[in-house]
Amino acid sequence: MSTPIAYFLLVSAALFTIGTVGVMVRKNALLIFMSIELQLNGVNLALVAFSRMHGNLVGQALTFFSMVVAAAEVVVGLAIIVFVFRRRRTANVDDLSVLRW
Amino acid sequence: MLDLVWLVPALPLAGFAANLFFGRRLGRAAGWLASLLMGASFVVAVLVARDLLGLPTEERVHILHLFDWIEVGSFRVGADLRVDPLSLTMILVVTAVGSLIHIYSIGYMQGDPRFGRFFAYLNLFCAFMLTLVLAENLLFLYLGWEGVGLCSYLLIGFWFERTAAANAAKKAFVTTRIGDTFMLIGISLVFLRLGSLDLSTVLAPEIAGVQPSGVFTILALLLFAGAIGKSAQIPLHVWLPDAMEGPTPVSALIHAATMVTAGVYLVVRMHLFFEISGVALTVVLVVGLVTAVYAGLTALAQDDIKRVLAYSTISQLGFMFLAAGLEAYAAAIVMLAAHAAYKALLFLSAGSVMHGMGDETDLKLMGGLRRPMPWTAGMMAIGALALSGVIGLSGYFAKDAILAIASEEGKALVYWVGVFAAFLSALYIGRLVVLAFLGEARSERARHAHESPAIMLVPLGVLAVGAVALGALALDKETGLLPALLGPVLGELEVGTAGLPEPALIVLSQVVAFGGLLLAWFVYGGRIDWLALRARVSSLYRFLNRGMYVDDLYGALVVAPGKAGSAFLAYVVDLRIVDRAVNGTGAAIQRLARVGRRVQTGLVRTYALAFLLGAVALLAYVGSRI
Amino acid sequence: MSADQIVFWVFAPISIGSAIAMLFQRNAVHAALFLIVNLFTIAVFYLVLDAPFLFAVQIIVYAGAIMVLFLFVIMLLGVDREEVLTERVWWQRPAAILLGVGVFAELFFAIRAGVGFATEGAEAFAETANRGGNPQALSRVLFRDYLFPFEATSVLLIVAAIAAMMLAHRRRRAITLAEQEAEGVGLLEPEVVP
Repeated sequence: MSTPIAYFLLVSAALFTIGTVGVMVRKNALLIFMSIELQLNGVNLALVAFSRMHGNLVGQALTFFSMVVAAAEVVVGLAIIVFVFRRRRTANVDDLSVLRW
Repeated sequence: MLDLVWLVPALPLAGFAANLFFGRRLGRAAGWLASLLMGASFVVAVLVARDLLGLPTEERVHILHLFDWIEVGSFRVGADLRVDPLSLTMILVVTAVGSLIHIYSIGYMQGDPRFGRFFAYLNLFCAFMLTLVLAENLLFLYLGWEGVGLCSYLLIGFWFERTAAANAAKKAFVTTRIGDTFMLIGISLVFLRLGSLDLSTVLAPEIAGVQPSGVFTILALLLFAGAIGKSAQIPLHVWLPDAMEGPTPVSALIHAATMVTAGVYLVVRMHLFFEISGVALTVVLVVGLVTAVYAGLTALAQDDIKRVLAYSTISQLGFMFLAAGLEAYAAAIVMLAAHAAYKALLFLSAGSVMHGMGDETDLKLMGGLRRPMPWTAGMMAIGALALSGVIGLSGYFAKDAILAIASEEGKALVYWVGVFAAFLSALYIGRLVVLAFLGEARSERARHAHESPAIMLVPLGVLAVGAVALGALALDKETGLLPALLGPVLGELEVGTAGLPEPALIVLSQVVAFGGLLLAWFVYGGRIDWLALRARVSSLYRFLNRGMYVDDLYGALVVAPGKAGSAFLAYVVDLRIVDRAVNGTGAAIQRLARVGRRVQTGLVRTYALAFLLGAVALLAYVGSRI
Repeated sequence: MSADQIVFWVFAPISIGSAIAMLFQRNAVHAALFLIVNLFTIAVFYLVLDAPFLFAVQIIVYAGAIMVLFLFVIMLLGVDREEVLTERVWWQRPAAILLGVGVFAELFFAIRAGVGFATEGAEAFAETANRGGNPQALSRVLFRDYLFPFEATSVLLIVAAIAAMMLAHRRRRAITLAEQEAEGVGLLEPEVVP
């Protein structure tokens, strides 16, 4: 392939950045979660790109594990959101501000 | 037996411990236990005396080393006891009078809720006093010195619920402290200059050459300062009249017979220093003389029976210092012993009077008590006669000897002032007896007075015998017991030839004594309205009654500035500055926290922002390094 | 222009564009759909980068399972919930954007310094790394070099499943939101905590 690896990495960086900003800016818990998924995907892309650059499959293996962990994390996280929603009737993260001064 | 002399202070100390821990359980037996131990101490003292007198005159010094007390480098002080004729005389006086007063107290303090503690304190006091007089080195002596001061404080303020008593105890302690501080400086200087604190070393005749006489002046005066405090001489006498707030047995034991005489003992013991100095001797003489006259005058204007006796004590102590100043040390000790007997007798009789009058002390409200209280009246009369120096009684032998020596020394002024002081003492004690016992009852209490129980009267009787009999110890240089005993220790009494012949002296002293008594009977016996007389010279009366305003002077010069200083420190420095600093620090932290806690917004996204900020910063830092 | 270059330059803008679009959606379902588009583009990138196995896994697991799970939960919580626009902490958005820019700048410089814009992929990737096919080669790596982490992740999945079940377990009898509202029974009162 003839595309420089750096471009893939830049795309990955951009996705990561957008995900980060999304975590900061959105108030709905689900949307925050989706932004986190975006971040993870950016990272996965970078890993695969590096794997291609170095000529071994270590990066791809890591990506595999990353996906597994992301899946588990999504499961637990969504369960928590559902639980909190049941108690508080809100998915707005700003409403969960009891632990303050 | 000489080696068992440590029992003399140890027995009352054991009594203190026993009464301290088991006093409440013992109840009335606490008093008997304490008295028994004092009596045992007296017996031991007698046995020690027998052993010591068995020795030839030159060898009558026995040092007993109990244990090593302080060992710091080259500074070694042991707990050493010294038995010689002087300390022997002192322990006999203290244990004898002490035992009698213990027995008297069983009756006097009956019913008091802290009965056991009283006897614990009394025993402790006797233990310390005996340590003081038996001490072989100055530091051990100082231990006893401080100890008796402490016990004096505890006993004056025994009824501490009464503000007056608590204040009097405080005043006593603080005033004697001033003297004690000078004394401690003196003791330190003794060690620094003379290299040792042991009496054997320091009082050896060779010591005179070690330092110039000026040093000895300073040492003597510093030690005398301690004596001034403890023996209530001018200017540190102000605590003794107030100390009468304590129970009467305390006044009798501590403030008449024993503690106040510690100063006399000290001067007599260290007389070598005073003699080397010369100046110090004169100071002692003057202080004693002035105090004797001052106190005699003041005693005339007191209406409180105990205060009359308090000022009388001050005056008599002045006489003893007068004797010391004349280098008549044996005479001073004889007077000490005689005074112990008759002053204790007077105080205990006064206690008996108060007991019968329901604790009333105002002489104006007494009168005619000879009828309901004949025994007490008789005892008190004997004590009064002894104090006046009537011939045949112990007081005569003591006082007369002192005056005789004054006349022989050619100190005419001293002699005549001393005679005047003796006249005053007869006058005031006559006044006391007349107002209390003669005439008619002047109040309801006096009409319904009753005699005291036997347990209080018996010690009085024994003391009365002593007041009379101690004359036998007499002071005549040839036939007297005591001077012979004390001579080797204290130096021979000097005899001069200038002055009045002896019969004339005797006659004059008796004229003075009886004159004073008769004048008292004339003025206060009911013929003259002495209260009206007093009203006419009211400013003079007030002047004398208030102790020539010395107390007020001290109050203005020392106490008021001290209180002002304390108030300043407490309310300005402590309250405003220190508290404000502490509270201010706390408030500042609170303010800081109030601002700082706003970081905890409780919003997850703020925290996430913080994470990101940190991550970015970290990345930048790492990136800049590569 | 070779084939992979064309693919790259077509899908890169789609990827980034869908990500940004996801950010700006008010409606949660729309955002989820944009995310799915993004996940698809990433799968295409995997393909371009000679990782066909991951391409498949990405579509099946990520876009297929995880996003469907997301959509379920969005439905459960109510699709018509709109987000409040005003911010409690006024400096949140500007700071986030600023920091985002900062992150991207740092990554850019890192890439430039570490990799460089000229480097291309390793030569003869298909013969060396992907020998015998990508799944075979990947399994060689997974089951030999990284066997222990592999087993650990299986445990992780079980744990996650159990945790989710425990968290979501209702103590009372199962009752849906709709049934609640129909009965008018406030089994679960909204708790307003100050």
